[in-house]
Amino acid sequence: MTKLLEVEGLSKNFGGLQVSSDISMTLNAGDRCALIGPNGAGKTTFVNLVTGVIPPSAGTIRLDGRDITRLSAAERVRLGLIRSFQVARLFKSMTVREHLELAVLQRDRRTFRLFANVAKVAGLADEVAGLLDTMGLTQVAHTAVGSLAYGQQRLLEIALALAMKPKVLILDEPAAGVPHSESQRILDAIDRLPKDLAVLMIEHDMDLVFRFARTIVVLAQGRLLCSGTAKEIVADPRVREVYLGSRANAH
Amino acid sequence: MTSVAERDGKAGQMTRRTPLAARRDLDWIGIPLVAAVGLAAYWLLPDDLALLTRIAASALFVLSLDLVLGYGGIATLGQAAMFGTGAYAAGIVAVNWNNDPFAMLAVGGLAGGLIALVTGALILHARGLTLLMLTIAVGQIVQEVANKARDWTGGSDGLSGIDPAPVLGLFRFDMFGRTSYLFALAVLVVGLLVARRIVRSPFGLACRGVKEDPLRISAIGGSPKSYLVVLYGVAGVFAGVAGALTAVTSGIVGLDSAGFPWSAEALVMLVLGGTGRLYGAVIGTAAFMGIHHILAASDPFHWMGFIGLFLIGIVLFLPGGIASGVERLGGLLRGKGDGA
Repeated sequence: MTKLLEVEGLSKNFGGLQVSSDISMTLNAGDRCALIGPNGAGKTTFVNLVTGVIPPSAGTIRLDGRDITRLSAAERVRLGLIRSFQVARLFKSMTVREHLELAVLQRDRRTFRLFANVAKVAGLADEVAGLLDTMGLTQVAHTAVGSLAYGQQRLLEIALALAMKPKVLILDEPAAGVPHSESQRILDAIDRLPKDLAVLMIEHDMDLVFRFARTIVVLAQGRLLCSGTAKEIVADPRVREVYLGSRANAH
Repeated sequence: MTSVAERDGKAGQMTRRTPLAARRDLDWIGIPLVAAVGLAAYWLLPDDLALLTRIAASALFVLSLDLVLGYGGIATLGQAAMFGTGAYAAGIVAVNWNNDPFAMLAVGGLAGGLIALVTGALILHARGLTLLMLTIAVGQIVQEVANKARDWTGGSDGLSGIDPAPVLGLFRFDMFGRTSYLFALAVLVVGLLVARRIVRSPFGLACRGVKEDPLRISAIGGSPKSYLVVLYGVAGVFAGVAGALTAVTSGIVGLDSAGFPWSAEALVMLVLGGTGRLYGAVIGTAAFMGIHHILAASDPFHWMGFIGLFLIGIVLFLPGGIASGVERLGGLLRGKGDGA
């Protein structure tokens, strides 16, 4: 099993406030892992640390054996560590097709071609057609994203991430804002991701988590509480305590 | 919940065709139309060739502004720095070494592109008002350098004595301005074609992405600033060529060619015509300078006021500029055509 993402002793302090402390975890090729935890557990901070949006106070991150702790977010993306956003973050005036063209061109570093025609770049049209087909977006290929249904925007987010040929894919609440009846379409799309990809999903919706994840990591108060298979996590009394405890506090 | 999905679905269907389609139609006919109208004007308005020449050269300058603002989202009030640099470079070369009009354009483009790349690399990390201030500062510096380097530029007297050789050794720049106008129109049309090629390239696509959301570009592994710097440089080439074209056709370069008012006027013309469309730059320039010409002749004291009213009207009723009005009209006609 290839270790694709290795996180060791990752910590982050904002002044005296410790929002992440000593988190270690590993993602192997083919993993389908969910990161859960009550509100304020530090899930978003963890994603921001791993993807390079904020620098860690301590710890190391390795991608496919290479130390990426000091690399910028864009450099990590180029090495294959890709994330999708919790709130669909797309270019409103561009069409679905243009998004995927841009992502593929960017991945292949062909974006500084000033006089090439996008429509005639070798192999681009076929690859984009394949991505559209995989995510069921062919019908809306020429629609501007601003007038797309939200569920389709979420699918496009995943398609964009996929277009960049990731090694590790981090999905930040991929079904947030999508009606429950449609979340299955998102899961189906996630099911069709390449098998050798390591996928980490941050999710609140436990129903979705159990349908997706083979392993689960639980964060609470910035620390790694426990990790294991879905069954182990359900049975773990500490997890119940964290969730029920936090709910009791909230009320 | 389902109602939300339904509504979104309907909205998607409704907005699918008209605006984008109308825009694509105009994309096709826009440039041939500029060439055709330009040639028609040559026959119809033989007494106004000097004005038409200025419109053509200015339109190329406004086009360069559309590249940075309309396709890159760079707010600038210093585009004339590149125009002025190109004009002076072409003029100085013509006076001292080589007065071939194409050589002058090449030198102007090179100079405009270089100054844009250098200053762009220095200032494009900034955004919004800060960037606006920095672009103004660059313009002022260029103007001041031109003012101080009297031996080369003629300082406040302007650089005169530019006498371009015949185009291709065949067509002399005549006193009626026929060659000047046709040359300027040809350069403008070629400029439009090259600009269209660039905005449709992978680079153009990436720049549109940077304009909408630079952080999202970083998230797909791109560097927003390097796109913007290159775009600024490319637009600098266009502005420099426009400056050189003015030097070729007017035979004189003044300090105002790098001045703040010229940058601001270009912005007004672009907003008037419509940003992010290329031909909007031509429409805006022709409208602004045409109205200016007519009003200034009939009412030399109040023309600025009329221009102001006109501008307010456009911004209120056609926020996308004149070009957006033309597109809407095209959309309506198309809608009727589909229905019948």
